[in-house]
Amino acid sequence: MASIALKSFIGLRQTATEKTHFTMQAKPVSPKPSNHRTLQVKAAKTSPKVTGRNLRVAVIGGGPAGGAAAETLAKGGVETFLIERKMDNCKPCGGAIPLCMVGEFDLPLDIIDRRVTKMKMISPSNVAVDIGQTLKPHEYIGMVRREVLDQYLRNRASENGATVINGLFLKMDKPGDGEAPYVLHYTEYDGKAGGAGVKKTMEVDAVIGADGANSRVAKSIDAGDYEYAIAFQERIKIPDDKMVYYENLAEMYVGDDVSPDFYGWVFPKCDHVAVGTGTVTHKGDIKKFQLATRNRANDKILGGKILRVEAHPIPEHPRPRRLAGRVALVGDAAGYVTKCSGEGIYFAAKSGRMCAEAIVEGSENGKRMVNEADLRTYLEKWDKTYWPTYKVLDVLQKVFYRSNPAREAFVEMCADEYVQKMTFDSYLYKRVVPGNPWEDLKLAVNTIGSLVRANALRREMEKINV
Amino acid sequence: MSISMALLSPTTHLPTLSPSSSHFKPLLTHKPFLSLRPKNHPLFTIRASAENGAGALGSVATAVEPKAEPEVPVPAAEAVPVKSESSAGANGSPGTAEEVSVVNLFEDGRWVNGTWDLKQFEKNGKTDWDAVIDAEARRRKWLQDNPESSSNGNPVSFDTSIVPWWAWIKRYHLPEAEILNGRAAMIGFFMAYFVDSLTGVGLVDQMGNFFCKTLLFIAVGGVLLIRKNEDVENLKKLLEETTFYDKQWQATWQEETPASSSKKK
Repeated sequence: MASIALKSFIGLRQTATEKTHFTMQAKPVSPKPSNHRTLQVKAAKTSPKVTGRNLRVAVIGGGPAGGAAAETLAKGGVETFLIERKMDNCKPCGGAIPLCMVGEFDLPLDIIDRRVTKMKMISPSNVAVDIGQTLKPHEYIGMVRREVLDQYLRNRASENGATVINGLFLKMDKPGDGEAPYVLHYTEYDGKAGGAGVKKTMEVDAVIGADGANSRVAKSIDAGDYEYAIAFQERIKIPDDKMVYYENLAEMYVGDDVSPDFYGWVFPKCDHVAVGTGTVTHKGDIKKFQLATRNRANDKILGGKILRVEAHPIPEHPRPRRLAGRVALVGDAAGYVTKCSGEGIYFAAKSGRMCAEAIVEGSENGKRMVNEADLRTYLEKWDKTYWPTYKVLDVLQKVFYRSNPAREAFVEMCADEYVQKMTFDSYLYKRVVPGNPWEDLKLAVNTIGSLVRANALRREMEKINV
Repeated sequence: MSISMALLSPTTHLPTLSPSSSHFKPLLTHKPFLSLRPKNHPLFTIRASAENGAGALGSVATAVEPKAEPEVPVPAAEAVPVKSESSAGANGSPGTAEEVSVVNLFEDGRWVNGTWDLKQFEKNGKTDWDAVIDAEARRRKWLQDNPESSSNGNPVSFDTSIVPWWAWIKRYHLPEAEILNGRAAMIGFFMAYFVDSLTGVGLVDQMGNFFCKTLLFIAVGGVLLIRKNEDVENLKKLLEETTFYDKQWQATWQEETPASSSKKK
């Protein structure tokens, strides 16, 4: 009877050998005969004990997602291996983390290079609105250097008992039957820069794919593809007197010239600024958009020297399959980047942690084998907790990034204090707060008004050159 | 950074670090990247570079503008060549040399300190809101075609909500409302006649019938939603868009077998 229940949530893998599980365990799962195969997610308490050793889990990728996952796994008593291909990887990234991340992940304050407390939104017609007046003194957006943050999280993982391996994941042999381990093929670098590395294999019971937007783990489980944006960024060192302006201020430029479906930004970093833009639909024109962004910020970055040019794909939505067997994807590999703001660091770390927690719980601190159902509890929890956030940001992007009038309306709305408060509350603490219904109504009316006015102006604009 | 240097020297390129595509918009050409100097292109005046020297550019500009441009420049056209501040600085007024000069900065006598000076829009003692709307449309059109750098010295703070709601309604809503009401009236009249001639049920009795009321609802909805031919396609796309993201998220919960039900959020 338990086997029927197990079959119902095995999902894409129909393994008859699951039957062997319940012979070893006393605790039965309540049977839910499901011919219509609803996906029911239950922790498999009927998994056998792993004898003689702890559960082995490999985390591929040592960014925020991998580091957070490895730390939680190691703390939970699981034998953890963290495989990262480039320990000093200086990633092309905005580098913004919300306030809640500092608390939730116990980040030391010296990791944060800058605290951004003001943002300027600039519309296509250069209407500039300052947001951030509603922030309390202790609230800020933290700007970090990715290499510093990633290294810190990895160190913490290894302090808790994870084995950090400098290597490149190549491929994975999936197990023939239910209990067999996954065999990972990777190249281990022995610390010599430029060395070819040694090919090795490793047997683990579960895998967390945290290897980013071009995830190989995702490919090996046929996770499917997602649409992605190209984010292009130039790091520019500007004169000190101009840097003062960006002391704790970041800018967002919107407009068709800067990006047809995203925004251009100037983010302050430790001692320089990052000027960049991104797009999904017009990737070929990214250099043109970058020029336009630099043009719009020209007054403020004049005299700057470009230090570095970098680009990276950013997923737009989760992959069709985020989980297969005992392999789960987290972070960018899963596609957990929000729309509208393009934020990914916090969600990567949080999903890594959540997945690791699900494994620790499903395996009862590493004593039992896990199966797909345990990993699915992570997906379920994730979707339930963060779905509203993602959906709201998707709606915002669809409404306000559509066209120049919409962007003008967007910037106009940002001048409203209620909007600023709601925006920052939801960004800094990652919760969608309902807010005051009367204010919400006023906000809705004002939004519609702004959109109508901006569209009316656009109609006028079209008449001018006809 | 003086205007004179820009105007007198031919375009000299500093080696560029990243490929600057000069066939993009001419305004953005030749951005030497080792140091972001102002544009070398002789045709263009650069207000920004003057700002480097003069701290209070905003005041200089506003003092200068009303003098230099008494009339509203038409954006598609030409002519307002060189700003007086630059001619003050450079010798050999460049205005004479170039005839084309598409000015790449938006200027208008009534645009003061980053917003429209409503006092200049008065007609018969009251503000002419239509003119404000026209002026703003022209400004946006100008900036769309010639994007400008956003500068801290001249922040733009215009908010369309200063134009009162009735001005917008009078200008945009009422004409369209007239058209839509006209359509609804025509459809209503002929449908009422048609139904009456077929069934003999008069107008008042038609209103009591449920089916007729449904038809009325559909007719009114149709007139409101489908105003142009393209609207049918747009509405369909809109509907699909609202659920697309949800489907992408739920993809991981779908099974391959057709008899599965997906976990709804």
